[in-house]
Amino acid sequence: MDEKKIEVLVCSGTLCYLMGGSELQLLSECLPPDLRGKVDVKGSPCLDFCNHPKNGRPPFATINGRCIAQASVSLLIAEIRKEIKG
Amino acid sequence: MKTRAFHVDIDCAQLSKEGCQVCGDVFLSRRIKEEDRIIAVMSDGLGSGIKANVLATLTASMAITFTLEKQPIDRTAQIIMSTLPVDSKRQISYATFTIIDIESGGETRIIEFDNPAWIFIRDGKVIEIEKERVNVVLDGGRERQMYLSHFTLERDDRIVMVSDGVTQSGIGTNDMPFGYGDDSIREFVCNRIIEDPTVSAHELAKVVIRKSNANDIYKPQDDISCAIIHFREPRRLMVCSGPPYDEIRDKLLAEMVRDFKGKKVVCGGTTSQILARELGLSIDVGFTLDDSGLPPASKMQGIDLVTEGILTIGRVAEILETMQGFEVIGAGPAVAICKLLLGSDVINLVVGTKINVAHQDPSLPVELEIRRNVMRKIARLLEEKFLKEVNIQFI
Ligand code: FES
Repeated sequence: MDEKKIEVLVCSGTLCYLMGGSELQLLSECLPPDLRGKVDVKGSPCLDFCNHPKNGRPPFATINGRCIAQASVSLLIAEIRKEIKG
Repeated sequence: MKTRAFHVDIDCAQLSKEGCQVCGDVFLSRRIKEEDRIIAVMSDGLGSGIKANVLATLTASMAITFTLEKQPIDRTAQIIMSTLPVDSKRQISYATFTIIDIESGGETRIIEFDNPAWIFIRDGKVIEIEKERVNVVLDGGRERQMYLSHFTLERDDRIVMVSDGVTQSGIGTNDMPFGYGDDSIREFVCNRIIEDPTVSAHELAKVVIRKSNANDIYKPQDDISCAIIHFREPRRLMVCSGPPYDEIRDKLLAEMVRDFKGKKVVCGGTTSQILARELGLSIDVGFTLDDSGLPPASKMQGIDLVTEGILTIGRVAEILETMQGFEVIGAGPAVAICKLLLGSDVINLVVGTKINVAHQDPSLPVELEIRRNVMRKIARLLEEKFLKEVNIQFI
């Protein structure tokens, strides 16, 4: 059966990049073997979360459209697992 | 915005005589923005090494200054010749010169004294231009001849100036016992232009030098110089960075970018999103890191380069400020922008003035400068250090 991939958008906007987002560019390479092939990682221009404090602090990413603040590689991996479990 | 119909691309390449640290030929050029005029001089000082360089530098600087002041040419030559120090061995004061004065619209005057004849090339062929002989009487009654030409340049015309180190290269070798000669250099340059009609002044001057050096079997027998002047369509570039102050101007910005005739660079995520929205395009965000430490460049149809904003343009300003010479080295989006900037003649900077409030957060690890100031700095550097024509527009 063709499983739909989890879509991860990593913000490459100035603020997110400065606040640690540059490290997130390596997410694809850091995925544990069981998650490989199940996740689609892409870059994005500013996701506009940074302009609204209620969204939390940068760097931001989204997992299937859900905003993740203060994203790090380990946080994103944990969130991807949550997403898979549903 | 001010636009100039033609651009004068000038460059000179040189090699010193084998064993000499300094080149005894000097080439100077000056662009006078207010008058839209260009003056270029090549001078070859008597002998070689430092002494020749001093003579040639004096000659070239005087020639530029007097020509700038529109002094009559015979007077200029007289002053130059009577000012130069007298060579103790030969008892003469001497440096050759060719002065080129190009006014806006292509009107050109050339004065030559004892240099190899300059070459005029149109459509890949040498065209002979009529020269008027001017006699100059020096102190002590000695007479010298100079040649004066007056004509109008058209698009894609080139002027080639060489020192005698080029025309006499290879002298005494089996292949060319009397040196390379005027005819061979003419043919060589024409062939190179026919091969690549868009060859830059920089590249063409370099190939002439390489050829002359090869003629001399890689031990230059004299100082070798070649200067090229190419009158051509300006290469235009637009760099657009920052969202407009007011959203109602987003459409205007998008139209400016869409309708611009030339290469286009967009610096800024929000700016590229505005363009994507207004022009119905999609952005393909880059996801490969290089060692520049800058966010990666993206792709957008019809735009030559899309990058992040303030960090990237900050780096561009830094590279332009610190670089020596005209060659940009390295990789990454800021280097790519610098290469495009330096490869262009007329640069339009379109700067959106909306302040990004999130960038003013005091907890950021670096202070983000105001975009307007960085773009002003880039404009200044391009104008003053790299002699580009820059138009800056705030929106
Ligand atoms: S820069 Fe990432 S959300 Fe704005």
